[in-house]
Amino acid sequence: MIDAPPLRLRIAIVDDEDLARAVIREYLADLPDVEIVAECANGFEAVKAVAELRPDLLLLDVQMPKLNGFEVLDLVGRDVAVIFVTAYDQYALRAFDVHAVDYLLKPFSAERLAEAVSRARERAGRGERLPIRGLADAARAGHGFAGRVLVRDGPRVHVIPVATVDYVQAQDDYVCFRSGGKDYLKEQTLAEVEASLDPARFVRIHRSYLLNLERLARVELDARENRIAVLTDGRRLPVSRSGYQRLSAMLGH
Amino acid sequence: MHPILGRATWLASYVAVWTLAAILMAAVPTWLGLAWVDSLVLLVPLFLVYSFACLSAWYVCRGFPLRSGVMLRVLASCALAALTASAVWLAIARAWITLLSVTSTFAPAAPRYEEQLPLLFAVGVLLFLLAIAVHYAWLAVEAARDAERQRFELEAVTREAELRALRAQLNPHFLYNSLNSISALTAVDPAGARRMCLLLGDFLRSTLSVSGHNEIRLADELALADRFLDIEQIRFGPRLRVERRIDPTASACRVPPLILQPLVENAVVHGIAGLLNGGVIRLDIARRNGSLSIAIENPCDADTSGADSGAGGRGVGLDNVRRRLAVMFGRDARLETRAEPGLFRAQLDLPWSLHD
Repeated sequence: MIDAPPLRLRIAIVDDEDLARAVIREYLADLPDVEIVAECANGFEAVKAVAELRPDLLLLDVQMPKLNGFEVLDLVGRDVAVIFVTAYDQYALRAFDVHAVDYLLKPFSAERLAEAVSRARERAGRGERLPIRGLADAARAGHGFAGRVLVRDGPRVHVIPVATVDYVQAQDDYVCFRSGGKDYLKEQTLAEVEASLDPARFVRIHRSYLLNLERLARVELDARENRIAVLTDGRRLPVSRSGYQRLSAMLGH
Repeated sequence: MHPILGRATWLASYVAVWTLAAILMAAVPTWLGLAWVDSLVLLVPLFLVYSFACLSAWYVCRGFPLRSGVMLRVLASCALAALTASAVWLAIARAWITLLSVTSTFAPAAPRYEEQLPLLFAVGVLLFLLAIAVHYAWLAVEAARDAERQRFELEAVTREAELRALRAQLNPHFLYNSLNSISALTAVDPAGARRMCLLLGDFLRSTLSVSGHNEIRLADELALADRFLDIEQIRFGPRLRVERRIDPTASACRVPPLILQPLVENAVVHGIAGLLNGGVIRLDIARRNGSLSIAIENPCDADTSGADSGAGGRGVGLDNVRRRLAVMFGRDARLETRAEPGLFRAQLDLPWSLHD
């Protein structure tokens, strides 16, 4: 049996500190069959790099401005393997939950990085993919309900404050966030979204709809005796029987 | 209410002592040829009643604490209280004799007892004065015990604050990140790596040495904060900028150690580190209205996410500073913070006192 040719790993380094990237760059230079395709100083650059350059592996810091490592993973985790590189050991469990390849604690040795990279190479050889579920949960773990929703649009990241979301609609494998007159698609289930949002604000009015209560103008009956939620902007959404019960309970009738 | 009334055993012993006193007192009339039984029947109830009257000495003692300068007033009050109490007692005794005279056995002796009433009055005054003396002694013991407990509590709070401060200074993540920077510099800039080792050594040494003192010169605290900023400067590069406006006369002012450094660290970790392009930390130290004013202002991420902006949270270091200020200065010092979108400001005011 002939061994498969060694896989050339394409790596992106994500860390907001120049020196932290420098030490990784230095270590990787001594490893065979790796190529640094991008160095990113923040999460937005990381998302852009993943979308445009399709690296096999992210070496990802956790504490970064604007988007932390877990939020980056929430946005791109389906497309790339991740090794966390951080000075904080308290995220190790969360990293394990999202099936990160490894978790390096700064400062670390060249050998430790080589070990993590070879583990990533093994995984890539087996064609393993990261789990889709739980990424958004990990991104906001320990912080109660989400204050904002992150949606990736190719290389761009939309940061949508939860207060501006009118409703969320399930669409096959995606959910659609309606905010400020625009629709934002994200690969996630409506149940996951529901769990991440404040239940005092968002109510599941239908199998496919999660409504921001502040947008509700009134509930009407249509010609076929179905209940319809009319929003402040005039948009009409279906309300199921159990959805109406939840709505009534929330509004206190 | 008098504390003795709440404790059964104390109350029982107290009543027993008074009963014994009554029995001893009953011996006096028997020398005059009066019957033991009559004396006991007359005196034991009277002494028991007076034993409770004497508990009011507690209020006298608390109302007139022993202080130099007011001793005459205290003595006068005590004497007045003793005379009043004994006078009331005398009236009760007179009434009690009259009541007992109804019985045929006591009636013949009643006039002879009445003759002895002035003696009873004198005894009453003395007993009340004795009660006052005992109460003063007891209150003094209690006060001493309270003072000691308070001192222990204060010491415990101070120690704990020091420990917390020290632990906060030796923030492990600060160390890990610094070591990681040194690890990077060894390859690309060995001289820089050495400089960072020296800075880190200096910072750790001064942190450990000042934390044992109650107060240090502001100049030393500033040097410590500068050392910290120098190290963070190497990590953050041009993202971290600092503007200082420091009144030179303030450098000799006395401050608690490690009171400024947590504010600076806070500005870096929760401010600069959260900004893509960093920003300027403004440090303003001045003498104002007889107090030392330290203001630190830093930009921070306006739409701070629901996600992590720093482990430990903004509050811990600042709470620690507040607690230490409260222990050391009470209301004479304060730390006020104001968070606006995109800007965080901490204002620290301390009593101005110069180092000699």
